[in-house]
Amino acid sequence: MNLVRWVVGNPVFSVALTVLAYAAALPLHHRWRWIPPIVAACLPIVAVLLLAREPYVDYNRGGSFLTWWLGPATVALAAPMYRHGMALRSSLPKLVLIVLAGSVVGMATAGLTAWLLGAPLPVVMSTVPKSVTTPIAIEVCKELKGIPQITIALVILAGVLGASFGPPFLRLVGVKDDRAVGAAIGCAAHGIGTASLVRQSEMQATVSSWAMAASGVFTSLLAVLVALFLR
Amino acid sequence: MVIHYLRGFAILVGFFLLGTGLHRVGVPVPGGVLGLLAFYLAMSAGLVKLQWVERAADFVLRHMVLLFVPLTVGLMEMGPVLSRQALAITASLLVSLTAVLLTTGLLGKWLLPTEPVLPGLPQPADELSVQEPSGHDNAEAGAGI
Repeated sequence: MNLVRWVVGNPVFSVALTVLAYAAALPLHHRWRWIPPIVAACLPIVAVLLLAREPYVDYNRGGSFLTWWLGPATVALAAPMYRHGMALRSSLPKLVLIVLAGSVVGMATAGLTAWLLGAPLPVVMSTVPKSVTTPIAIEVCKELKGIPQITIALVILAGVLGASFGPPFLRLVGVKDDRAVGAAIGCAAHGIGTASLVRQSEMQATVSSWAMAASGVFTSLLAVLVALFLR
Repeated sequence: MVIHYLRGFAILVGFFLLGTGLHRVGVPVPGGVLGLLAFYLAMSAGLVKLQWVERAADFVLRHMVLLFVPLTVGLMEMGPVLSRQALAITASLLVSLTAVLLTTGLLGKWLLPTEPVLPGLPQPADELSVQEPSGHDNAEAGAGI
């Protein structure tokens, strides 16, 4: 029993378990598209932790090593932003305006709705960055003293819902231009939405991955204002 | 080959540390975003070439899901908060999602007058053919959620 504790409590074990679970989740997602990789990766880990009676804090000593890499991953978003920014040069000023408006509306409506329904401040702040890509959303959530786990759950749900219902909804309200569709999906459903557009249209996917990075940047800049207001 | 990745990772980590440093000094924007902006500016100024970093960046973004698995596992301890705030959280999600789609979609429709559609790209009407998962997609594994 002590040996089990020592193995399971080891940060190396956490990292290995997480990488293994992720590696196993990929073929599952490939075979059954509707299974989000994040869900398939997390469930076996939760099962192991519960079975071994391992508290989350202990698992997370190794886990935080992986979490740290979200920082460099955020930096990496500049690559698609730069690459696609070049391709979209002619419509860039208008796209900036559109994505900026989307970021403001996304933050304001999410926070206000939760606040009006009586959620406590940390929960309200956790909803504010829910439209943007996970690594940025987590950072913004921390700046606003929210609860990162709630933000992550919302970000993933926004991505899954936006990817499945976004395009038909946009068609319903008469949005047909590829760039408009891409900007809307990138703003509302970040990476998951963008991934779903890749199979539709190159222009939509290009605008979408630019919009996802840009809305992340705008949201974190706008969050500075929200944080000032909180003080 | 390996050296391409190493150089790319080194540059990404370098810019992240630069961003974190700026954040520590008092810039109120998250370190990762500061690093992103610095990296973008460095590429625009020609100090760093996109090709140096492209492979490492694509790799990190493709497997980003792995990086937030540990935080998501933390949801297992959030049960009580989540169930108490379920209504507020769900409503906030749905209202905000709809609002963002409407704002950006309609603003886009208004600001970006229809240009001739690029030839060879599937039309929205092609939806049925589009549902088939194609073998390759560079956004595999939900690239960068």
